[in-house]
Amino acid sequence: MNEIIRLENISYIYGKGTPFEKVALDNVCVSFSRGRITGLIGHTGSGKSTLVSLLNGLLKPTEGKVFLDGKDIWENPKEISSVRYRVGLVMQYPEYQLFDETVRNDIGFAPRNLGLSEEEIAGRVNEAAGFVGLPAELLEKSPFDLSGGQKRRVAIAGILAMRPDVLVLDEPAAGLDPRGRRDILGKLGDYVRHSGASVILVSHSMEDMATYCDNVVVMNRGKIYAEGTTDEIFSRADSLSAVGLDVPAVAKIAAELKRRGIDLSGKLYTIDGVRDAILEYVRGGAK
Amino acid sequence: MISDITLGQFFPGYSVLHKLDPRTKIIIAILSIVAIFFANNPITFLLITIIAVILIWISRISFTVVIRGIKPILLILLFTMILNIFMTTGEGDPLFEFWIIRVYTHGIIRAVFMAWRVILLIVITSMLLTYTTSPISLTDGLESLLLPLKLIGVPVHTFAMMMSIALRFIPTLIEETEKIMNAQKSRGADFSTGSLVNRAKALIPLLIPLIVSSFKRAEELATAMECRCYRGDKNRTKLVKLELRTRDYLCLALSALLLAAIILGAILPYNMPINIAFYDLLFYKI
Repeated sequence: MNEIIRLENISYIYGKGTPFEKVALDNVCVSFSRGRITGLIGHTGSGKSTLVSLLNGLLKPTEGKVFLDGKDIWENPKEISSVRYRVGLVMQYPEYQLFDETVRNDIGFAPRNLGLSEEEIAGRVNEAAGFVGLPAELLEKSPFDLSGGQKRRVAIAGILAMRPDVLVLDEPAAGLDPRGRRDILGKLGDYVRHSGASVILVSHSMEDMATYCDNVVVMNRGKIYAEGTTDEIFSRADSLSAVGLDVPAVAKIAAELKRRGIDLSGKLYTIDGVRDAILEYVRGGAK
Repeated sequence: MISDITLGQFFPGYSVLHKLDPRTKIIIAILSIVAIFFANNPITFLLITIIAVILIWISRISFTVVIRGIKPILLILLFTMILNIFMTTGEGDPLFEFWIIRVYTHGIIRAVFMAWRVILLIVITSMLLTYTTSPISLTDGLESLLLPLKLIGVPVHTFAMMMSIALRFIPTLIEETEKIMNAQKSRGADFSTGSLVNRAKALIPLLIPLIVSSFKRAEELATAMECRCYRGDKNRTKLVKLELRTRDYLCLALSALLLAAIILGAILPYNMPINIAFYDLLFYKI
């Protein structure tokens, strides 16, 4: 089977029956591929975060079903916590969830809840900390003494320590400087190759999507607006700007060059892709 | 979900109840509390219940919302009722006896009315104050009513500001709690099963981040206020000046009349010989 998670006719309504009733998701059908990084993008309020909370059963859909590996996750509501171990969700600003005395214990919180042995927990903590690039000496510190970027890494490591089949990250790079962004997002590809897990990356940055994702799902006003491979999605830049999403700056440059009669081809939405295309064009012209 | 708690939440709207001056509403709320505690027989309770229903109706807030607001105090209600049933001694024979427990019919009736009294208290005060008055105008009203206390050195403005900040942050804290709870659930935390001790322990991962972020929030708020040169009420002017209008005077007069009627209904029947049908039923003293 090629898909790890499938949503069927999902609707979610907040505050049903109150004056604040709000439809967050409206009859959404979408699936996420196994072993791939899928980007989930959309304007603020498009329903991304709601959709993400449905994936690991934090929210129960008002209508529709969520399938994990072909199995309805709400079939037995008492076993929903086992779904949460398989679908690791890193929420927005996850550093607010840190609570334990040391970084080591905090990362070990989820494995401890899983009921693993102490050696197994220690192994997983070291592995997860190593993966997000936390130096070993930080493990004995209090999480409240760390910098913002380090806290974020600890929080992500706290989820990785569960070794989830699906890693869902809701804006993991929000509020970080460009270098912190690259560090964290760049690890995702390694993680997929290493563990064979699937990753779902929520972001509203088109640059991140273009650089790190294999597939992209575009959401707009509680509906799926478009889905496909990154190439497919970015080749339709016009329709993206129609829903308030901006294509990456390099893609705009490439489009403008094309409009002026310079024939480029290749991945015209990442910096590397456009650079290669221009180089090729220049070399081709020189011949 | 936690966010179902509506106690202390403002529902924006344009009803008469929303438009009344906050001071009027505070005074009427105080009068209502007095009336509710005077009420001691079915007829006075009925009158107050009708007033509560009318209040809900003119505020255009749905009944389900109001009922949901009562849910969180169900436990207190139950406790009040149980205490009243077992502690009340009535005349005549007990309804049933078991060991040292004696239950009288009077006790049961009393328990029902006690619970009803608490419900009325919550419904009327929340209809007048929290549901239809924004926290800002509520504290404005309170500040203005308490202003005389300033003469004897009470920092009225500071109190009002503290209260408005507390009110303002209730929904924020609820939201925050929910977020952190979800984050910990995502890491396999279990808040709803296990023994009492285990459940108390499970709250640590929730409470510590909550306390930490509250302190942080308080510090940020204080800095933001100082950046905008907040110095208490020194030279502070108001954008919206409170003003009593005809409708305020009308409502105040009407409430005073109703209060008088309820006090009369609660006292007169037992001090004067009144001869009407169903006397025993209508004026059964609770």
